[in-house]
Formats: sequence, structure tokens, C-alpha cells
Amino acid sequence: MSAWIEFGRGPLFRLAFCLMVLGLLRIVLLTVVGIVEAYRRNSDRIVPWKAVARQTLGWLVPAGRLWRARPVYSTTSLVFHVGLLAVPFFLAAHVLLWRGATGFAWPGMPQPLADWLTLLTIAAALGLFCGRAFHRGARALSRLQDYVWPALLAAVFAAGYICSHAGLGAKAYQQFMLVHIYLADLILVMIPFTKIAHCVLAPLSQAVTAVAWKFVPGAGDRVAATLGYANSPVWVAQARSGAAPPAPAPKAAAKELVAK
Amino acid sequence: MQPLTEEERTHAFAPTRKAEVIARQRLPVRYHVEDFDGHHRPRRFLEAFAAVLKHTNYRLALDQYVRVSAKCSRCSVKCQVYLATGDNRDIPCYRSELLLKIYRRHFTVSGVLRGRLLGDPGLTDERVQEMADAFYNCTACRRCHFECPMGIDHALITHLGRYILSEIGIAPRALAVSVREQLTGATGNTSAVPVPALRDSLEFLSDDMQEERGVDIPFPLDEEGADYIFFPAVSDFLMEADTLMGNAAVFRATGDRWTIGTGYFDGINYGLFYSDHILEMVLHKMRAEVERLKAKTILIGECGHASRSAKFFYPTYCGGKQALPVVNCMEYAHKAWKQGRLKLKPNTIAEAVTYHDPCNLARTGWVVEQPRELLKAICSNYVEMTPNRRDNICCGGGGGTVSIDEIKPYRMLVGGRAKAEQIRATGAKYCVAPCANCKKQLRELMEEHGVDCQIVGLHDLLYKAIDFGPAAGGNGQ
Repeated sequence: MSAWIEFGRGPLFRLAFCLMVLGLLRIVLLTVVGIVEAYRRNSDRIVPWKAVARQTLGWLVPAGRLWRARPVYSTTSLVFHVGLLAVPFFLAAHVLLWRGATGFAWPGMPQPLADWLTLLTIAAALGLFCGRAFHRGARALSRLQDYVWPALLAAVFAAGYICSHAGLGAKAYQQFMLVHIYLADLILVMIPFTKIAHCVLAPLSQAVTAVAWKFVPGAGDRVAATLGYANSPVWVAQARSGAAPPAPAPKAAAKELVAK
Repeated sequence: MQPLTEEERTHAFAPTRKAEVIARQRLPVRYHVEDFDGHHRPRRFLEAFAAVLKHTNYRLALDQYVRVSAKCSRCSVKCQVYLATGDNRDIPCYRSELLLKIYRRHFTVSGVLRGRLLGDPGLTDERVQEMADAFYNCTACRRCHFECPMGIDHALITHLGRYILSEIGIAPRALAVSVREQLTGATGNTSAVPVPALRDSLEFLSDDMQEERGVDIPFPLDEEGADYIFFPAVSDFLMEADTLMGNAAVFRATGDRWTIGTGYFDGINYGLFYSDHILEMVLHKMRAEVERLKAKTILIGECGHASRSAKFFYPTYCGGKQALPVVNCMEYAHKAWKQGRLKLKPNTIAEAVTYHDPCNLARTGWVVEQPRELLKAICSNYVEMTPNRRDNICCGGGGGTVSIDEIKPYRMLVGGRAKAEQIRATGAKYCVAPCANCKKQLRELMEEHGVDCQIVGLHDLLYKAIDFGPAAGGNGQ
């Protein structure tokens, strides 16, 4: 079993970590390029960058905003995020692993603090799960991944905590460690492809929204022309009647139609 | 807030259209829609969606929102529609997901692959119908945007959804007919006000003011080279005489040159609500008139969406950074007052006065404090409603819904429910609502909910408080 553990926190971890970094890099680059392209397509180039920065920073440090809506859930979420970021990066055992692999590292946090943060994070994850399951609105919105994520993260934290505390026998220790490592690897790989992508994309949201409201001059005409209605825009009576010419199907939609 | 009773719910959501029309159009929405080709709607919706994605910036936002949406439901707490109905379909995030799901399924590689693997048929006609209903239940007030930790702007999605729907012929008839008159009609404005009628009513207002205030307060028409060219919501010429008198009086006091162009005098732009194409065309009309009269600044009257569509989209469509500046009339009055060019008599209004922030003015923080400072200068009893400023609750008639008369029960019982209670709680005698749409909606609301509060414009009160001074030959009263 120790070979499996070594594999999980050695090569597999490195692969998972690289996939995560590349995946996140890809979506960040796509988004940044998208922002620049959208900005260039607009003619006035007037974007309220100050407001964008204020909103972005406001949400990165959201302490003052929590009470405005779903205060208990939001505060729980903040605690959860603090634990989620602090413990994996600053747990002394993780720092040591990192030093062993790369030769450099940063100071770890004191063990008692890590313990408390871990327990808080697990409690917060369960709180978020319940806040979702028992809130009518949230339940209506939730997808499978919205339930899986808090459960998965609570599990990996719990396995890690048990490993470092309970007076386990060597075998039990290895079993929990195996769960901890393989779940962590799975989480890393899943990050770029699920809503956890917000860990890098959320700070770009305000900028995206700001440039998305910058409409493109002439786009209305071009949309109508693409649809085959260049001479009958939406405000003309009966513009889109059955007598209108068949629209040339644009690429994506056309592909879809072929697929059917 | 009190949830809807069953009786109210039935009334608010009662069908407004004949059953045969609904059957013919296969569209069970409450707003009237002009007849359109209802065949192959899902295919045509996708074609329109693809064309819009090809030529606009929406793809960026859709990609981002699809990736980050965390479904935390914080927006639900901020939506006055959801708070009234308690219907999950009215949660902003749920509504946006209708369109995001289609985007993911048909316009992303992973969605297309997954769709093929799982045999998902994709967009159905029922989904098109659901969107046609949902996107006009939203008032596009953007209050939820500021509570979304992920920065999702549900009003942008509502706007996009409506734009695509309009491209396949689904748009409220009330809006479509007005836009048709504005862009192709003989009068060239949404309320079909002919120029002779405009001249008559403005002359009448001038006479009225002469009588009331003893001051000659003109409405200059077609003056070339004026400092300001004025575009109120055109409905003000029919329904908001007091506001217009206030606008003219402010200019009389400051002495700045201003004008109203008889070639085009309508600030209304329904394009902001449902079509980028219309938004652009209406602004081009405005530009033509501004250039004809060689005006120096565009001044928009008391109207939220007219102000926002001009302020934020006139530069986009009409000359970029070199475009003429756009100013809201309250900004103008406030600046003149600060400079000492507009003298106001304190304590002119003794009754309790409150202020309603129109979403399109306040949400971005553009016009928030200016009207408050002016009101505090002339009112002895100014009270705030709660919440206020950027967090203010929509009147319930936003996003063009106030112009759709047939959905009035919905606006009264659902959209405006929170607002009515909010105004009632202030106990104010006057509620200042500097927006043509808000005014109409709020007046109907006050009547419907039996709230004893008069809805007025800011300039209605300024008119009473302006001190023209002895030099103007007025009596100053």
C-alpha cells in the first residue's frame, strides 16, 4: 500500500497538479484574450475600470457584503474558503512535502491553528451542504456538482485530519492517507472543468460583465443580414413572417442540425 | 414581504390573450405579441443565437457565467419578483440558466459532445416558450447583479434572451408598435406626438408659468448652436407637464442656452430593453438631430432608461470618445445649484418627501446623491426609504414592462409589491421618482395598494422652489 501512497503523492500528484495549472491557465488566458477582443470591438473604449476594480476587490474581501443576503450561508462560505485556501498551502506537513520535492518552501502554520481551521472547514462544508439542501431557492438551482463539491472537500479534510490525529494503527493510517491523497488528486484535476474554476475566474467577472455591456456598433445590422433579414429589421411589421427568405444557418447551428 | 395569496396569484397570472391567439402562436405568455412565423422556432432561435454570438461580445460573458456560476441563491433574496411569487422559476439565477443551458448545449464543444453522447435533443419549443415568459417577468433592474459573488449580471442575460427572441418575432406588441412609430412612423416618436401638438402644448405651458410665477419661461425650439439639446421621455410632453415646467424653469434661472429639436425630441429607447439593433438605430436618430442643430451637450430628461441608453451607448454608436457629452437633467440642475447659478428657496415643501432611485440611474452610482442634495435644500422633511441608493428596490415596471398595459395586474401584485410596501413605510406625502416609467408604475401602484402618496418628479418640486430673483421680473413666490 505504501507504494500506492508514494505513487499518489509523487507522480500522480505532479500530473494532477500540472493538469490543474494548465487547465486554469487555459481558461484564464481565454478569458483575458476575450476581454481584450471585446474591448477592441467596441468603438468608444469607455469602461468603468474604477468601478470594476472596486467591485472585484469588494468580492475578494467580502467581509462587509455578507450580511446583505443569506448572511449565515455567506459567512459559512467565507470561513470555508479561508480554511480551503490556508490549510492545504500552509499545513506544515504539506510544506515539508513541497520542500522535499522542489527544494524550496514557505513557512508553515502552527499545528493547533491548522487543526482548528480543518475542523472549522469541515463544519463549514457540512453547513454549506445543508444550506443548499434545505434552502428552497438554492435547492431549485443546485446541480449534482453543487452537492458533490462540499462533500468531497469535507471528506478530504476529514481524512487528512484523522491521519494526523487519531492513534491509528499503521494499516488504518495508510488507508486514510490513501483516501486523502487520491481524493486530493481527483480534486485538483476537476478544478478547471467545474465551477471551482471560479478560483481564478471570479476576479475577472466584473471586467467581463463591464465589457460585455459594451455593444458592438453595426452588430444589429450584421445579425439581421446573417439571418437573411437585412431589408426587414425587427421593427418592421411582419418582418419575420413565413414569407421571409430561409436563413442561412450559421456554423454552430448548422453543425447541430447536421448532427440531428 | 407578504407572499401572494392564491386569489392574487390567479389574478396576477390570469391569461390576457384570447385562447385562439395563444393556440395560433403557441405562446402562452401574458403580453400581446404580433403574429409571427411560429414554425421551426427552436431552429430559428438557435440560428438567431448563433448570429448574435458571431457579431457581438456576448460569448465572452456567457462563457464566463457558464464556468463560474456557483448557484448560491443569494440573488433570490434580492429579487422583488421572486420575493413576491416564491416561484423558483423567478430566481434570477434560474432564469439565466434557461439561456446558459442552451448556450452550453449548442455552442460549446463539451456541450455538443455530451448532447450527442446522451442523446439530448437540445432546445425544444417548450423551452422557447418558457424563455418568452421568463425574460419578461424580469424587470432587468440589476439589483441581483450586486449580490452575486461571481459577478454574474442576470440583466445582461435577460437583455440577450429578449434580443434573440425579438429576432424570431417574439417581442411585446406594445414595445414593437412604439418602436415602429419611432423609427418609421410619420411622427418619429414613441408616443406619436406630432410637432404642431408639441408646439401648442409647450406654448400653453409657458403661458401657465407666466401666470403662476410671473416670469417669462420659454421652451426654445430648433435653436442652433445651443449649449444643451433636450430629450425627455416623449411621454412627458403628454403626461408630465409639471416636470417639463421645472426643466424650463431651471434653464430660465441659469440662463444657459437650451433647445428642443422638432426633428426629433424623444429620449425613449426601448432598444435597451430588448434589442441592440433598435438601441443603435434610435441613437442614430438622436445623433442626426444633435448634428442638425449643432448642439454642444445632450441633456436627457427625468427618465432612467433614456438616460442610461444615451449616457452609456451614445458614445458606443455615435463617435466614441469624441461623442458629445450626455448629461441627466438632475445632474445639470445640481451642478448649477452648486455653482450658485440656481437659487432655491429652502423649506418650500413642508410635507414629508421621499426619493425613489430609478434603477437605470442609481445602480451604477451615476445619479444618486445629486437629487438628494437638491431635495434636502428645498424640503423641510426629507425621509429616506429603505433600502435606498444603489440597493433600491425596482418600481416593478422596469425593463419596459410598464409600457405593457395588459400585464398591469402582474406589475401591481408581483413586480411592484415590495415597492408599494416600501413607500407606505416612509409615510411620505410625496415620492420623487425622476423617471417616466417609474412615475407611471408608481402612480398605478399607489392607487392599487391604497397608499396615500403623490408621485412627482424632482423638477416638479424644483419648479416650486426656484428663486428667479428680482432681476427676472418675477414675484419670487
